Amino acid sequence: MPFDKQREDFQARAKRAKQMGSPQRLAERKAANILNARERVALLLDRDTFSEAGLFATSIKPDVRDKTPGDGVVSGFGKVANRMVGVNAADFTTLGSSSAEVHGKKQYWVRETCRKNGIPMVSLMECAGGRIPDIMGAAGIGRAGEGARYTHSRETPWASAVLGLTYGGGAFTCINSDFVVMRKGAVLAVSSSMVTSVAIAEDSDPEALGGWRLHSENTGFVDAVVDSDEEAIAQLKAFLSYLPDNANQAPPVATTIAAAPDAQKLDTLVPESRAKTYDIRTVVKAILDKDSYFGIKERFAKVAVTALGRLNGRSVGIVASNPMFKGGALDPDSCDKIASFIVLCDSFNIPLIFLADTPGFLVGAESEKRRLPGKIMNFMAALELSTVPKIALVLRKSYGQAYLNMAGGRADITASWFSGDISFMDPAVAVNVVYAVKPGEQPERYEQLLKDVSSGATAYELAAPFMAQMVIDPNDTRRYLIDMLEILTRRMTNGVGQHRLANWPPAF
Amino acid sequence: MARSTVKTEITGKVWKITAEKGQRLAEDEPIVILESMKMEIPVAAPLACTVLEIVVSEGDSVTEGDVIAHIET
Repeated sequence: MPFDKQREDFQARAKRAKQMGSPQRLAERKAANILNARERVALLLDRDTFSEAGLFATSIKPDVRDKTPGDGVVSGFGKVANRMVGVNAADFTTLGSSSAEVHGKKQYWVRETCRKNGIPMVSLMECAGGRIPDIMGAAGIGRAGEGARYTHSRETPWASAVLGLTYGGGAFTCINSDFVVMRKGAVLAVSSSMVTSVAIAEDSDPEALGGWRLHSENTGFVDAVVDSDEEAIAQLKAFLSYLPDNANQAPPVATTIAAAPDAQKLDTLVPESRAKTYDIRTVVKAILDKDSYFGIKERFAKVAVTALGRLNGRSVGIVASNPMFKGGALDPDSCDKIASFIVLCDSFNIPLIFLADTPGFLVGAESEKRRLPGKIMNFMAALELSTVPKIALVLRKSYGQAYLNMAGGRADITASWFSGDISFMDPAVAVNVVYAVKPGEQPERYEQLLKDVSSGATAYELAAPFMAQMVIDPNDTRRYLIDMLEILTRRMTNGVGQHRLANWPPAF
Repeated sequence: MARSTVKTEITGKVWKITAEKGQRLAEDEPIVILESMKMEIPVAAPLACTVLEIVVSEGDSVTEGDVIAHIET
């Protein structure tokens, strides 16, 4: 056979590189039920679709070339549900998948190839931080900066998983992503506890430093939390299924469509008394196509629900206030959460539907301390700069600035359930504030004033001056939204918006 | 068995107390109901637990983060 010797050498080199790092580390992972980089890539991609890049790359340092197959990252392209994606999978068994010259070059190449060709990028991350001694000294850190580009201008979706100790560059890749899933037990932080213990004499437990609770409940950096690598990869695939390949395309349309069982029973899911709480997610799930609800940041700022889903097969983004938490009063964190969700949907041409059942923004000293007025305006800026089709629907009530922020009058279509109550504040509070009449002091006068104030706050009072395009029966919601979306998605830009939020900062 | 506290996540007034000392509660079962923003907002058991003590009374004003009850899980 021609080239026998060279082929033999080629195959031996490829085999060695695919074995990754230390056999002991690989065995430890297996014992702990944690997948290695190549197993993760295999699970992510459709069978036999992986085209690897950089299999024969190694560290730039001659003395560790033998110890750095692929320089600690498995990179390339392949297909997810028959759609092309770029992938970088950290190989922690090779020097902790630490950041170094060739390691960075490989990831950057995947990233740029995705950007230039309109392909989503998936990062399966672990990272010990900057590699020692590569980043030491002025030239070391200088080299780390050369050619590095951090800004994500949302040309194509980035979906990342935090699957182990993820510091430095690995953490920053995740932060810049449009969707981040984290496996419990993994850590996302700027530096490890080893560094913090020396730098600021703080002995942090890694969970406190960057565990799943911190990032799903306090910082909101993580969009979903799972128990295993397998579930994390399933979440990445599910996320990508709602998104187009890039910002110049409309989202994919699913072909299997079924209504949820409660689609025409919404009136049984919402209490008639406006003072009673309920979980709006049951309503959202009933409106959307069956089993298409995909919550984003479910554990963070629970007053706001932000979820991807489908209506008649089309991807939509749902923004809803949830009376189950804080009575549905929008707090500062919920403004951040909604703004970042508007950015995601607008950047990738996903129409937005706002479902309002809110007593207003959560006023009070605590909210002001947490910069509520600024947060409300950031939320409003995201809303007003967005060009994606928008529908605003009031369910039971929507008061004051929150009515405007929940896209009331700002969306392409504003509508209300017949139960809608829309005003500058809750009528019961308004009587106090405007007329200084309290129910306990002048009960009869209070009742009369309440009646007067309430009569001006109905859905029909919004519909009469055509500030609402329609008043609907709750049980007709799904049909109405599907019909309106069919109109709004006919825009003569083939469903592609202006993307004025594409450079919105990655973290709020 | 671990002891912990249940805190309110919103400022408001205690409208009703719906559980009592010694009562066994399932996750999400309300301990008290607050009135805030003209809504009846439950403060519920974070996990299945036994109520050791409820430290507020009906009509009390509470601030976000205040302890409502001590529980044992």
